[in-house]
Parts: sequence; structure tokens; C-alpha cells
Amino acid sequence: MKALVVDDSRAMRMILTGMLKECGFDVLEAKHGREALTCLESNPDTTLALIDWNMPEMNGLELLQALKADGRYGSLRRMMVTTESEMANISKAMDAGASEYVMKPFTVGVIQDKLRVLGLVS
Amino acid sequence: MNENEIVREFLVESAENLDQLDQAFVQLEKDPHDRTNLAGIFRTIHTIKGTSGFLGFGTLERVAHAGENLLSLLREGTLALDAPMTSALLRVVDATRRMLTHVEATGSDGGEDYSSLIAELERLATRTPDTSAVVAEAAPDAPVPLPALEPANPPIAVLQTAADVDAPAPQGAASLQVTQADEAGTTVPNRRSGQDRRSGDDRRAQDEKAPAAADSSLRIDVGLLDRLMNLVGELVLARNQILQYTATQTDSAFVSATQRLNLVTSELQEGVMKTRMQPIGNIWTKFPRIVRDLAVQCGREVRIEMEGRDTELDKTIIEAIKDPLTHIVRNSVDHGIEPPDERAAKGKPREGVLSLRAFHEGGQINIEIADDGAGIDPEKVKRKAVSRGIIASEQAARLGDHEATRLVFLPGFSTAEKISNISGRGVGMDVVKTNIEKIGGQVDIHSVVGSGTTLKIKIPLTLAIIPALIVAGADGERYAIPQVSLLELVRLEGTQARTGIESIQGTPFYRLRGNLLPLVYLDEAFERGTAQRDPEVVNIVVLKADDRQFGLIVDAIHDTEEIVVKPLGKQLKGIATFAGATIMGDGRVALILDVMGIAQRAHVISEARDRRISEGDAGDHAGDPQHDLQALLVCRVGDADRMAIPLNRVARLEEFPTTSIERSGSQDVVQYRGVIMPLIDLSTVFTGRPTQGGDLRQVVVHGEGDRSVGLVVGQILDIVNERIDIQRRSTRHGVLGSVVIQQRVTDLIDVAAVVGTSSASDTWAAA
Repeated sequence: MKALVVDDSRAMRMILTGMLKECGFDVLEAKHGREALTCLESNPDTTLALIDWNMPEMNGLELLQALKADGRYGSLRRMMVTTESEMANISKAMDAGASEYVMKPFTVGVIQDKLRVLGLVS
Repeated sequence: MNENEIVREFLVESAENLDQLDQAFVQLEKDPHDRTNLAGIFRTIHTIKGTSGFLGFGTLERVAHAGENLLSLLREGTLALDAPMTSALLRVVDATRRMLTHVEATGSDGGEDYSSLIAELERLATRTPDTSAVVAEAAPDAPVPLPALEPANPPIAVLQTAADVDAPAPQGAASLQVTQADEAGTTVPNRRSGQDRRSGDDRRAQDEKAPAAADSSLRIDVGLLDRLMNLVGELVLARNQILQYTATQTDSAFVSATQRLNLVTSELQEGVMKTRMQPIGNIWTKFPRIVRDLAVQCGREVRIEMEGRDTELDKTIIEAIKDPLTHIVRNSVDHGIEPPDERAAKGKPREGVLSLRAFHEGGQINIEIADDGAGIDPEKVKRKAVSRGIIASEQAARLGDHEATRLVFLPGFSTAEKISNISGRGVGMDVVKTNIEKIGGQVDIHSVVGSGTTLKIKIPLTLAIIPALIVAGADGERYAIPQVSLLELVRLEGTQARTGIESIQGTPFYRLRGNLLPLVYLDEAFERGTAQRDPEVVNIVVLKADDRQFGLIVDAIHDTEEIVVKPLGKQLKGIATFAGATIMGDGRVALILDVMGIAQRAHVISEARDRRISEGDAGDHAGDPQHDLQALLVCRVGDADRMAIPLNRVARLEEFPTTSIERSGSQDVVQYRGVIMPLIDLSTVFTGRPTQGGDLRQVVVHGEGDRSVGLVVGQILDIVNERIDIQRRSTRHGVLGSVVIQQRVTDLIDVAAVVGTSSASDTWAAA
């Protein structure tokens, strides 16, 4: 299974990629929303996207909206990676098509639980 | 997943982002409503907070969180930015840097207490917009402490792939024919023109604008780059050897293979050199912050302008010019630009402009630092130089304005009326000059009273491989002269050779286009006596040292060649005549001449201008050390002893807090410019009692780099210019004798003896 990590920080991408690999994913990386769209274009079989809020070019919310507007990504599960200060806005993200969110910092266990809810791991 | 790797990445990424933040904040102060800028700052702090949470750096996370909260209110427009907020946010940046440095060194964020900073940020975040405006007016920005630690510079360079390094020229066949048509002996590889290089810079600049392209770069250990550079150096030497051998061969297949090797080697050399190139902007990014803090501290309004920040320089050179440039920038703000009211009174805009410019020119980098401040008054400089005893008044009268201005480069000179703690301990610009000259650069100063000062620096692109002219001495031994110092070659034959060289007061001169050119014989420069000279041919290599010209008479002039500079062995390092060594095409070693050193030894220019001038004045006494006019540093040692140290033994004057003095074995040491410098307390040496009182120690630094030794003195009293007339030879150890200075008997310290006898000498003899 393929997963996409969208985050502008290299260190954060390394952390998230490491966790997803532990969960058994092949991981792709993008450093902002626009790059994520290009990446998904050539990897339509991606099943999960971990999306950061705050990014240059195109932020997380804009990415969610773009994905929602594009009919091709119906089966893509979108999980927001959020911080406590962004929690107030989480309903906006859910409205825009996020299926789950996970609050920083978290452990592999937390992600696995969420993925289980989404039916992506058993 | 490797935890260490992630932490490393986090450190590198954060350091990069923080460097940009300094500038962003300065920008933000000017335009507090710049949303894009605010969003960028917010994102950086936010990212650091998020990542440090994962990595378990709790304190860092809390500080970043408090900063992020305030920033988020600013970003939403709930609060308006004012000076206290900027200062608090800058403190967040500093605290973050400190913790990152700690993480790099120890793996933890240090757990220092930042609760007052966090409380301050929370207080600012809960203020209502109205009162904040009032407070901003009532309490102008408190001075921001300068960052105590330099941001951690991880040993990593960003390497542009594909986009920047051109593939080895595949047009071999076509250009091969052309090259072959040239003389086979021509070993100078085609140097890429400045135009071409500039287009490379543009490319890089574009890359930076489009972040999507950043994926084509990868990170490489600097150690590996250094090894590659070394190997390329060896390859260049081998190529030179083969080229030389090829010159005697006729086999056309072999010759063309050699030519191809030649081309590829040159391309490779340039490519590897490029990997070590960094834009000068990397060091400039720190300046807006430095200037901002300094301007606040000394009540100036300064705008900083930069041009040519993409200009690239070798990494080692970037590192070498960082401190001198910082010093110049500080000087300009502190001493150059006037306080706003003074500027307004002169009809200038209240805000001063400091502009930095960098550009390529003729294989060198030019850096110009200009301010539109008060300028330097040459008359004032002369008066100061005279009062400090650096030059005599009649010599001062003879100096032109530019020459007078250049007096600021002399050791022990400071133009500031009062010495501030910002710049100018009285030893400033001379160190800038020495450091720039150390890397083969030159520095000059131009100033117009009332409208500003410009410092112009010229430095070579790289230090590792340089074009040089190969010459031969009377013994047939070959020497390399760096081409940057070379102006022209003059050959005199027949009658011209016999009569062209005149002698004025024992110094040989040649009249070059009406100007007298002082001459130095290469063999005499080595003090090997005068060899048999061919009276029919004279080869003069016209060189420039500092801003003066002189001719070096050599036996034969060979070719120009790209040489790989190898440092000299320990035994030869101290000889001013040689700058290094290289291996020639035939495998033999040639010494690289230090043009500046030769000029100084031959007294074409003096080691320091003061000495040249005073020697001229001393006239008949020249060479008689007892009567030479000499600059002396007068200081107090212990409670009462008045002693003097010859100024030419003094590299710098420093002040260290007693808390920074550590003990290593039986030796007091202090960390100074990246090395551990042993300290010798002169009071202990001469009175048996250590220097007492106060929490600062005045230290006279003797020697350079890892050979420096600090002499602790009680108090520095004065710098005087005296004819040394030793009244009474001393039997006291470490004392040359007594001299009368300012009508008072003063003991002249024998620095060599003091340094030699103290255990400190072991420390640096072992180094």
C-alpha cells in the first residue's frame, strides 16, 4: 500500500515516513499541497495521505479542498496532522474531506489505532 | 528509522530557517502588515515546535509554543506588532539557537530556565491592541542582547546537481583541433569567462525562487568535498606532468589523448571547485539582525541594502572573511553613520544606508561595504596618528588624503573618540586587513567627509588552485608567483640592461614610463648574497604589494601554470618570503613566493606603515636598534611596575572576564578565536604575585593562531613612539633594560624571554 506524507519540514517528513513504513506502507513525500497533487497524479493508487496544515505554496486545507473538487481521489483517505493550536479549525478540515486527524506529537501506536479505524491496517 | 539522522536533519533544517528569520524580523519591523512574511515566520517556529515535540525536547517545545501563540495572534491581525514584541520574538530565536546548539553538542535541549521569556510572551499575547500601542511609545525598545553563541553551523553543504555542474565538454573533437593548433607547451587550461560564471549564478538564483527545483539538490559531507578537492589537485599535478612529457612526443594519438585529458581535468577541477562554492549571501543573512540590534543599541537608524548576494566564493574563503566583514559592518554602524538628529541637521535623511555589494571581476571577488555616514576626516586621522606617536607631524603633512585615511589600518589605531564595547578596542581595522591579506586579498578604504566611507575588498575565488607565473633564480631553482600580484613583465637587453638600473641611496630603481620602480633581486630577497649576474639581460617582474609596485629581478621567466597550493612544512611556515609550495610538471617542488612578504623584507613596503615612516625619519640611525624609533605599548604590571612591550610583538589587545580563564595543568588558558591560548601573568613573572582585583583581565596577545600567547597585564596605559636608548642593561630575567619613556624610567620587556621561559611555551611548542 502506498501512503503520501505532505509536510514542508524535512525532519518532520523523516519522522512520519519512518512511522508509516513501520505500519507497512510504501511512502511517498511531498513538501506542499501543490507537489502533493503532482505526486498523486502519477500515483493514483495511493491509499493514504498524511497532511500538515501549515505549508507554503498550498496549505493543508487548500489541498483537501482541491482533492475534494477532483473526483479521482474518492478512495484516498486523508488524515490531518495537527497541533493543539490548530484544533479549533479541525472541523473545517473534516468538512473539506479529512477522514481523520492526529495531534502532534504522537507515537506509532496512535497512528496504528487511527489506521485501524479507517480499516487500513488490521 | 534512525533517531540520530532525524535529529541531525532537524538541526540542519532549523539552522537554515532561523538564519532566514533574523532577516524576516527586520523586514517585519519595517512592514508589520506583511502577511506573507508573518506567515513564513510563524511556520518556522511552528515547525520547530512540532518537531521538537516528537523528538522530546520539552523546553524547546515550550519556548517555541509561546512564540507561536504570539505570532498566531499577529498573523490573524488580533495584535499589532510593536518593538517589545519584536524583541521578545527575537529572544525566542536566540533561545532556540542556544538550545539547538546544546542539542547538537549533548543531545538534549539543556533544560535552561526560559520561564521569564515564556511569561513575557504570554503577557504580550494577552495585551489589548490599544495599550500595546501606548506602551510601544512609552518604552522604546530595550537593547536586545546579542546572541552569545553563533548558530550551529553543521558541516554540510548544499550541492547543486545536474543544474549547476556542467557535463564534461563533449565537444572534444572540435575544440581539440583548435587547442592542438596552439603551442603544445601552453598548459593554462581555459578559464571560464566571468560572463559564463555569472549565468551560472543566475541559474542558481532561479532555483532558489522555484522551490520545486530544490529536489535536484543533495547534501554532502564537507569532509568528502575536501577530499575530492585534494584529489583533483593531485590530478591537476599529474596532468601537468603528462602535458610536459607530451611536449617532447610526436605520436599524434598520444598527443590528442593528452589534450582530451587536459580538457576533462580542467572541467572536473572547475566542477569540484564549484561544489565548494557558497553564495556570499550565506554570511550576509546575519547582517540585518546585527545591524538592527546595533542600531538600537547606539541610537542609529540604519537601512541595509545588499547587491550580489548570489556571488559565490570558496567555502574556506567564506569562513575567512566572515569575521572581518562583520567587524566592518559593525564599524560602519557604530562609527560611520551619524545619530538621526545629527543627520537631520546636516540635511541628510534620518535613516542611514549601509550597502553591501559583491561581484566578480577578473577572477577575483570584489566586496564593497559603503555607508553614507560622516566619512573619515583625513586631517583628524593625521592628528590622531601624530598624537598616538604613530607618525611624526612633518610626515603627516606630506601624506595625501587617501594615504592618511589608510592610516586607520595601522595597528593600535582607532578613530572613535570614545572606545565603545561594540567595535574598536583600538585594534580593529588592522586585524581586518591582516585577515584579508592572509587569504591573498586586499582591502582599501575610500572616504569623503560628510558623505560616507567605502571599504573595498578584493579576494581570490579559491585558495586551492591558482594561476601562477613560474620564474627561475640564479641557481636555476624555480619559483611560482601568484598571478594576482603580477602587473607586467619587463625585459631589458644590451645597453638598456647595463644602464637602465639606477641606484638611489643604495636602492636600485628602474624608470618605468617615468615612474621610479624600486627593484628587488630575487637572490637578495633570500639573503643568499649577490650571485653572478648576466649583464646583457635583465628580467623584471613588476608586482604589486599593497598599493605599491616594485620590480623583482629574476634570472629567467618560464611559463604561466595552474598550480596547486600545498602548505609549507612546519619548519618553513614562519618564513615570510614563501607562501607555500607546489609540485611542478616534472615532479619537482617549487616554492610559491609571498609577494607581500618579499616587499616587506626588502623594505619596499614596510611591515606596518608606521615603521616605514619612522625608518625614513630615523635616517642615519636606521639599522642601529638602540636608536631606532620604535612604537611601544606601555602598561602597568602588578600594582606598580611600569613596563613597555615593543608594539611589533603585539598582535592584539584583548580583555577577558576572569570567569573565562580556565586552568589546564599548571597553566592558565583561555579560549580565543577557536584555539586554546595559554596566558602568562606578567605580574607573576616579575613580582611573584598574580594580577589582582576586578573581574576583567587586560591581555596582550603575542603571536598568531595556535601559536598565540596572552600576556596578562595590570592596565594598558599608552602607546608611545620612542627612540629606544637603553639606559641600563638589565640583569633581571625577562627584561631587556630600562628606557626613559615620558620622563619616567620604564622596563622594556623581553617578550621572547618571557614566553620562552614560561610553561606556556610548552603548550604551543607541542601544537
